[in-house]
Amino acid sequence: MTIQQLKKLKVDEALNANVWDVDEEPHIKVDFSKCVECDTKPCVRLCPAGCFTLLDKEVLFSYEGCVECGTCRIVCPKDAVDWNYPLSGRGVQYRFG
Amino acid sequence: MKSRFDVIVVGAGPAGSTAAYTLAKKGFDVLVVERGRSPGSKTLYGGRVYAKPLKEIYPEFEKKAPIERWVKKERMTFMAEGGSLTLEYSSKTSTSFTAYLSKLSEWMASQAEEAGAVIVTDVRVDSFLKEDGRITGVRAGQDEVRAGVVIDAEGVNRLLLERLGWVPKLEKSQVALGLKETYRLGSEKIEERLGLGKKEGMAWFMIGSATGNIPGGAFLYTYQNTVALGIVVFLHKAVEHAQQHIFEYLEELRLSPPFSNLLKDGVLVEYGAHLTPELGLKLKPPRLYGDGFLIVGDAAGLLLNLGYTVRGVDFAAYSGYLAAQAVEKAGGDYSARSLSIYEDMLEESFIMRELRRHARVSKLMENERFFTTYPELAFALAHRLFEFEETSPTFLEAFRETTKGRVSKLRLLLDMLEVARGP
Repeated sequence: MTIQQLKKLKVDEALNANVWDVDEEPHIKVDFSKCVECDTKPCVRLCPAGCFTLLDKEVLFSYEGCVECGTCRIVCPKDAVDWNYPLSGRGVQYRFG
Repeated sequence: MKSRFDVIVVGAGPAGSTAAYTLAKKGFDVLVVERGRSPGSKTLYGGRVYAKPLKEIYPEFEKKAPIERWVKKERMTFMAEGGSLTLEYSSKTSTSFTAYLSKLSEWMASQAEEAGAVIVTDVRVDSFLKEDGRITGVRAGQDEVRAGVVIDAEGVNRLLLERLGWVPKLEKSQVALGLKETYRLGSEKIEERLGLGKKEGMAWFMIGSATGNIPGGAFLYTYQNTVALGIVVFLHKAVEHAQQHIFEYLEELRLSPPFSNLLKDGVLVEYGAHLTPELGLKLKPPRLYGDGFLIVGDAAGLLLNLGYTVRGVDFAAYSGYLAAQAVEKAGGDYSARSLSIYEDMLEESFIMRELRRHARVSKLMENERFFTTYPELAFALAHRLFEFEETSPTFLEAFRETTKGRVSKLRLLLDMLEVARGP
């Protein structure tokens, strides 16, 4: 894959360079009812894979691009992230880690 | 598969595989359980490893390990909005090398396997088995496997230790978040653009605007055909200071000079992120041993960030090596009391000596001026000295002008004293 690198990449474009074996089941579950009461939503800025996004002030989560770093679990001020690693070796497959 | 081993190791990273390798060589019946598809497939770090401890553990390490380049050039750059100031160190000799941790972990696991350890991949351990107060094995889904000793090498996200109640939940002040892009550039371009010889590598650290002034730093490492560029930010500081998505900071760095030219025509081959223990001693559990139980590597919090270099992989591997020796010395009595020898050995080793000797560095890292004011000041001072029109200032004049309004003399003096005593 070649990417024209003269402009900023979107995080999805960068993640596309990786080898993946995405699980069918999400390995992370988010209790969105807690997100409603969260003013700061640090997950949106700090998940390095951009798995947490905002749509009209509502937090959306997709596990597919997750790089299993554990940041969301730790930065969430509402303890809304039920975090685990994927099963059976699924998820990101680092070759140059 | 058998349901009982002498030793079970959780995680086939540098710490786990080295423990397994050392134990298997001593004749122990060892099982390593790894959640990834292959050892190394879930691991990510900056890029450099200090060689000596590994040479002690693995015979012919230098000849056989997947070493990419020996680090013979070090750079430290203070980045400011208007420009930057770089220190460069070049040497004919080297004590550290660059390697992909994925490949190095895979190699270490292969050594363990050759020595007789059983490595099972694709299996996520869900919990430790605890019976009559001692750790007796691991549970993965419905499966249970037992052993005389369990060595926990699960890494920085200590889900298993947390579930066991051994450590409290990880806090954001205990870790840093690293993001890394790896670009394929070809060895010729790498050597030409960075002034490196064949097999010669560079480790480059940047602080200041490199991370948008979020406390932490940025790095560049050269591999044989690729270059890794990344940022590392203290997580609690990033929560406080990040104004945009964290990936944007890395992209801004990549597109700024000199990196935009350096990586020109490079092809992105991977982007990843990982947490790293910060301020090591803060993350170290109060006890690294229990009845039938030892903790090694990142899970033990064994990492040292000095600001101009980072050590983690050699610490991890060596802690695994020591854990293996402790198991042997325990001589079949795997009580906490007997296994506590591991912690004694660790205390006497270079690992804890290093961590304690540099304990003050944590105070430095908490001082935000090192990530904002001082990189700016370094650039401003150089700017004043180099860019004059008619009259050039004396050093003292330049110094007075640039510090004015930025930081008081006393503050500066105290901070510099802190640097002198710190790392």
